[in-house]
Amino acid sequence: MSDGLSDGYVLVVAEVRRGLFEERNLDTIGLGKFMQKPVCLLLPEKVSGVDHTTIGKVIKAETEEGNFQNPLTMVSILGKVFESYGRPEYVLFTHSSSGAECAAYAAGSFALPLITDVNGWDRDTGTFFKSYYSDKVFAQCKAAAQPSILTVRSGSFREQVTREASEAAVESIGAFAATEGRAFVEYVEEAGGAVDITKADFLLSVGRGIGSKDEIPRFEELAQAMRAVLSCSRPVVDKLWLPKERQVGTSGKTVKPKVYLAMAISGAFQHIAGMKDADCIIAVNKDPEAPIFQYAHFGIVGDVNKMRDKLLELAKNA
Amino acid sequence: MEIVVFTKRVPVTQEEELRILGDGQSVNLSKLPFRMNDWDNYAVEEAVKIVEKGGGGVTGIAIGDKEADEVLRRAIAMGAKDGILLETEAAPHDPFARAMLAYNFLKKENISFDAIFTGVQAEDDQFAAFGGILAALLKAPFAAQVIGTDTVEKDHLVVRRELEGGLQERVRVSLPCVLSIQSGINEPRYVSIMGVRKASKVERKVLKAAAYAEDAKSLIEVTQWVYPPKKEGAAMITGDVGEVCGKLLGILKEKGVYQ
Amino acid sequence: MNSERVIACMQCGKCTGSCPEAGKTPFNIRMIIRKKQFQRAVEEALPWYCTSCSTCTIRCPRDVKPSEVIIDIRSVLIEDGRIPVTIQKALENTFVQKNPWGKPRSKRAEWIGKLDFEVPHISETKEKRLLFACCIQAYDPRCMVIPVNVARLLHSTGVEFGVLGEEEACCGNEIRRMGEVGLFEELREENSANFAEYGVKEIITLSPHCMNTFRKEYGDLGIRILHYSEKVKELLEGGSLKPERRYDKKVVYHDPCFLGKQNAIFDEPRVLLAKAIGSDLLEFTRMRENSLCCEGGGGRMFFDVEATYQRNSEVRVKEALDMGAEIIATSCPFCVMNLEDPATEKGLSVKEVSEILMEVI
Repeated sequence: MSDGLSDGYVLVVAEVRRGLFEERNLDTIGLGKFMQKPVCLLLPEKVSGVDHTTIGKVIKAETEEGNFQNPLTMVSILGKVFESYGRPEYVLFTHSSSGAECAAYAAGSFALPLITDVNGWDRDTGTFFKSYYSDKVFAQCKAAAQPSILTVRSGSFREQVTREASEAAVESIGAFAATEGRAFVEYVEEAGGAVDITKADFLLSVGRGIGSKDEIPRFEELAQAMRAVLSCSRPVVDKLWLPKERQVGTSGKTVKPKVYLAMAISGAFQHIAGMKDADCIIAVNKDPEAPIFQYAHFGIVGDVNKMRDKLLELAKNA
Repeated sequence: MEIVVFTKRVPVTQEEELRILGDGQSVNLSKLPFRMNDWDNYAVEEAVKIVEKGGGGVTGIAIGDKEADEVLRRAIAMGAKDGILLETEAAPHDPFARAMLAYNFLKKENISFDAIFTGVQAEDDQFAAFGGILAALLKAPFAAQVIGTDTVEKDHLVVRRELEGGLQERVRVSLPCVLSIQSGINEPRYVSIMGVRKASKVERKVLKAAAYAEDAKSLIEVTQWVYPPKKEGAAMITGDVGEVCGKLLGILKEKGVYQ
Repeated sequence: MNSERVIACMQCGKCTGSCPEAGKTPFNIRMIIRKKQFQRAVEEALPWYCTSCSTCTIRCPRDVKPSEVIIDIRSVLIEDGRIPVTIQKALENTFVQKNPWGKPRSKRAEWIGKLDFEVPHISETKEKRLLFACCIQAYDPRCMVIPVNVARLLHSTGVEFGVLGEEEACCGNEIRRMGEVGLFEELREENSANFAEYGVKEIITLSPHCMNTFRKEYGDLGIRILHYSEKVKELLEGGSLKPERRYDKKVVYHDPCFLGKQNAIFDEPRVLLAKAIGSDLLEFTRMRENSLCCEGGGGRMFFDVEATYQRNSEVRVKEALDMGAEIIATSCPFCVMNLEDPATEKGLSVKEVSEILMEVI
């Protein structure tokens, strides 16, 4: 067994995408730090962006990310890590497409307890908080044995990341061949062309209250400057200010972005139905009684077009 | 192709206020309507589409109480040829225990399949683990969050997995395999009430889940249920235009959508 | 099947001539009937244009009932599962939560909380007079004033009434028109069973759509079915409701299709408005049986057609402006919702009749 790990360690399996160390990994590293355990980071080849002062050790699997994040290969890699370094107390994955995939497969292969989408930890009881019913309630979950496998919700432990004085050493555990059962072929970018507002993380949505079609180009500019996708309510489509594919609502599309910035949208029932599950709803309207303020997380009463112009100015100068 | 689809009956909780009972011991689901897990609609639809194109059959399986028959009827109305209910009053919370139960059933009853589909996750527990654990127990290849089935061959599939930020990953998976299907892969057909009535005439086998529960023990337990921290109404942002815009951009940065 | 009636069609074109969708959209009901006569396929998007105004059915000299033929075509598409996604959602929502918006059934009676008096469950009343709220009015913040107003009006005159509360399910009028026969039958069964169980003797509906289906499509319930305007007219003429002020605005009345042309209730809302407003009630040229359909019915509330054209609601608003009206009054929540957006843009208000009454009582 390699030194420094006899006290029990946390194995953080990195999520790497096109050679970049995903920001979500800070939450898995953060949880490990929060639990005050030595943190070991498991990486594939060809990764950039790793801050080696945040972890105690780096274990490198000599294989490319596509094969590394293949759950079948991951099981072999974890087996080798357990063999070489002993079993950790926790194996942490990001709660993401690949993270959850590998975590489940590993849990089944090694018959280990699995708790996913963890966003909190209670030190006294050693239980983990897990969302149920879209965050309406949380379950405090306890694992029956160790190691247990967790996937960690993005944004939940980021502040716990600390830096050590020295950089972690990198140790290799050898190469891993592609598996029979599954092989990585290639990455595919989603086709451009028609806009799919349902895939956007950030929607800038405009309503009838912007006044006229002439105001639209500046909103398009703002959306671009803020890397948002432009969407709208039904009257805007009815008036032909924007095409139908941008419409949010009962007779349009239902969206669940991270941020829904509604500008000059009153909050008619049929519109709300299409966006009420957005993580963060920010409403801007000149009418303080506009129903949308009942559904928004943040509200601003003011002139929408003036705000747009100021935001553009700030965004461009940033 | 013979495809088995696991489907789940879940409570509809959008806009409902959920009550925690008995000082954190359980969640009150008694007055809620139930329906098929949204992701499972996509899984069933994808299985039926593949089979409509290339031949074969789809079987729906549900683990749950008698009422879970509802989702099997729906699967049949969508095109599955039959359904099997593994009946239990209380299906285990732990996806590992459920996957073990499913695994025991498949092995004991010698169920043959080319592929097993599940939804990416269930609306109630959002574990996103059942399919992966089952695949590992079966020692079958697994791909989660499948957003497109590009090629269907006798011995393998080429599928696309949905990653983050609009990126996808194409992978080749040998058969038999397990896939978890992502919403948006297709447009599930509408199931009419008359369609469900017709589906009721197709046999759905009911078996006792307990017969397959040996060594299907839970590895995790829920010790308590809690509410999330309270959210107030819309927090109003005030100030002059410049201040308000500055604060707004700050919120956007915090949410990770603006740098 | 109604489609057998197409054989009687002589292609006179009266249907298309009366259709609110004709000319400006690709929807041509005469042509659709013709295609059905020859058992030709009808383009899948077309049947969804129909607003169920039923003008074609009312005017057809051969009793072909074209609006029913549309429902038949839709029901085939529904059984095939090939329907617009938004219609699918509305139907699935109705199946799960008994209202097309998918709002929780448990919140259906929340509007009652806005009243400052108790409203009993229908089972607790003596006279078994049921006030049927309707999905839109139970859940939509804008339309919620309507049941609140009517409840207040009835309460102030001592008329006893009760509600079904959470047991109320969608009447199914739009569901049947969208072609989901099975779902309509389930809704009808559920509501009818509740009416029977509680011994309901009279139903006061707030939406002409609910009234229409209860009167004509629920079979012989043995229950007196009224639109609230009929009830309130009785109360006004009987003297129990006395307007104390005058509503001093220029008001034009818009006849809803389901109240007016389909159920011949033209006078009652007019009588109420006449008692309430100071000046003469203005009238559209296309009024009463010829009223211009607002395009809210027939599932159009849940489906946006591909064609881009000037909506009838905008035309109606222009007509109102041209005659100098300040308020468009109507007595149907669908009309209210469809007219309000274009009206507000042009500085007009849309008021449901009960809103005007509340200002003067």
